[in-house]
Amino acid sequence: MTTTTSDQANIESPPMDFGDLKSQCVAPRPSIMGRRRSLSGILWLSAKGILRGLLTTLSYFRRPSTVVTQQYPENRDTLQMFERYRGRLSLIHNEDGEHGCTGCQICERLCPNGSIIVTKDKKNEATGKPALDQFIWRQDTCTFCNICVLVCPFDTLEMTGDFESSVYDRRLLVFNLNEYAGPTADQLEKLGDEELAKAQMKPMKKYQGPVPMCGGELDGIPKLDTGKSDDA
Amino acid sequence: MAQALMNLISAPLLAQAGRAAAGAAPSMERARTVSDRAADALQYSIWAAVLYIAIGLVAVLVVVSVLGLVMSYIERKVAGHFQCRLGPMRVGPHGILQSLADGIKLLFKEGIEPGHGDKVIFIGAPIFSITATILLLAIVPVAPGIQVVDMNVGVVYIAAVSGIGVMGILMGGWSSDNKWSLLGAMRAGAQMISYEISLTIAILVVVMFSGTLRVSEIIESQQQGWWIWRGHGVAIVAFCLYLIASTAELNRTPFDLPEGESELTGGYHTEYSGLRFSFFFLAEFANLFVFSALATTFFLGGWLPFHIGDYEAFNRVMDILPPVISPLFWFGTKCTVLIFVLMWFRWTFPRLRMDQLMRLEWKVLLPFGFANLILAATVVLTGLYFFPTAT
Ligand code: SF4
Ligand code: SF4
Repeated sequence: MTTTTSDQANIESPPMDFGDLKSQCVAPRPSIMGRRRSLSGILWLSAKGILRGLLTTLSYFRRPSTVVTQQYPENRDTLQMFERYRGRLSLIHNEDGEHGCTGCQICERLCPNGSIIVTKDKKNEATGKPALDQFIWRQDTCTFCNICVLVCPFDTLEMTGDFESSVYDRRLLVFNLNEYAGPTADQLEKLGDEELAKAQMKPMKKYQGPVPMCGGELDGIPKLDTGKSDDA
Repeated sequence: MAQALMNLISAPLLAQAGRAAAGAAPSMERARTVSDRAADALQYSIWAAVLYIAIGLVAVLVVVSVLGLVMSYIERKVAGHFQCRLGPMRVGPHGILQSLADGIKLLFKEGIEPGHGDKVIFIGAPIFSITATILLLAIVPVAPGIQVVDMNVGVVYIAAVSGIGVMGILMGGWSSDNKWSLLGAMRAGAQMISYEISLTIAILVVVMFSGTLRVSEIIESQQQGWWIWRGHGVAIVAFCLYLIASTAELNRTPFDLPEGESELTGGYHTEYSGLRFSFFFLAEFANLFVFSALATTFFLGGWLPFHIGDYEAFNRVMDILPPVISPLFWFGTKCTVLIFVLMWFRWTFPRLRMDQLMRLEWKVLLPFGFANLILAATVVLTGLYFFPTAT
């Protein structure tokens, strides 16, 4: 970012929208790095910055309600997480419940800690082509780095705002994300015939939809060692 | 234990010093501290001395635990106000039972020791940490006579003993068999040892002004006015240096790199749980009080009310409180304000980076501290401060 006037003290960001609360962030940018200043100048700037910060928080201290803080358990019904919030990973499904994942396994290969396992239907019964079978996501090891979302060439992954995921057993944090196995929404659309398309959609029999798999054993997923038998 | 030892060692010295002072100038008689009383009692019966030592020990322990409870509550409330968080409102009316609930929770938690850690050092580290705090608390002058020990080398003692806290943290991080802990401990070592220099240099300014190392005498020397305004610019700079350095000594934001929970998942106390963890926190909160109390002692006149030189009328108004309450009131108020300021810092400033931290100390604070020390020396020699005749 190039600033033409180095004395420009503040760069004001556009107002941000926090649900029904409005706020504006003013980022102080004293140009200490920009040009040479005398020692007293730097001291003065630092003191000014420190005092300003202290005064800001003091004003919050006197009127806490002006702080942009969401009162979480109370606002559970109206809570909206931000667009960029990285909560639970999810396959994007259209209104018919179709996804766009081709099962190319790029996300699986690029996930830094192996939290994704994409298994493929070698030959889809209807189309005779390979298609996605299961999209397994292990939240227990995911670092929410967002790489999988960025690398997917078909833009079919997203991070949802769902963050309430505490459970007592970490086996409950292994998810199957696809609601059906089979061709992508694109391919289904090309068929034209809706009935034919429906016929090609192969519903997942086991663990259908974005549900935790309750520690069930699946191909490619080593069973978690919990130290006790899991009859549950 | 350490406290008792301390008393035993220092009591005869103190008694001697006290007698010498009394012989030289009877008007300058100091209020008798717990250790003085113990030393006197020793002449009649060893049990009386033991009783006094026990009283001192119990008092300090009570103070530590009460401070832990109260400070953590205040910290939560202050943070809650700064950030509009209702967390500390839920347990009891206005959350007053929060600290208690925390304490009970910590009691019931399992004390885990890392498998390959160094067990002895691991268990010893929190005790070390809290011992340093207790040793420091012993010299905090709350009011005339309400002080466990008042030795003639008080300032040196403070500088020496406050270093033990680093040992506790280093031991904890080293013995945890955890890289985060080790990193946190290394940071703590580097940080606390560095900032201790600035801390001591800031205190030395006051020592120069008052001409004594004994904390009670430092307070007495501020009868005519607190050093922070009597020493004008020099003292204010020293006070700022002290505040910054003590924030770093306390490992509080913006200098909380040893914990750095967002990059070190808890730093030196990552592996600690339950009571051992709470020991570290007790020490931290009690230290918060100790450092505020020492700042009060050195710069804000300790238990003395606000006086301006010889303006009798004004001073009389300031002395209006009865002599029993007055020291406690003034000391308490000043301490509370300073504690609030430190908490205010914590919830305002973002954490520094390690290199920034070191640069601040070695390239900014230290040169400023030395320059300020030299300036202070000139000020003292030329008597350029207010009411120089008073000392
Ligand atoms: S967010 Fe990162 S760690 Fe998590 S599944 Fe995606 S690539 Fe893997
Ligand atoms: S989510 Fe995207 S990257 Fe991953 S397998 Fe499906 S299409 Fe490929």
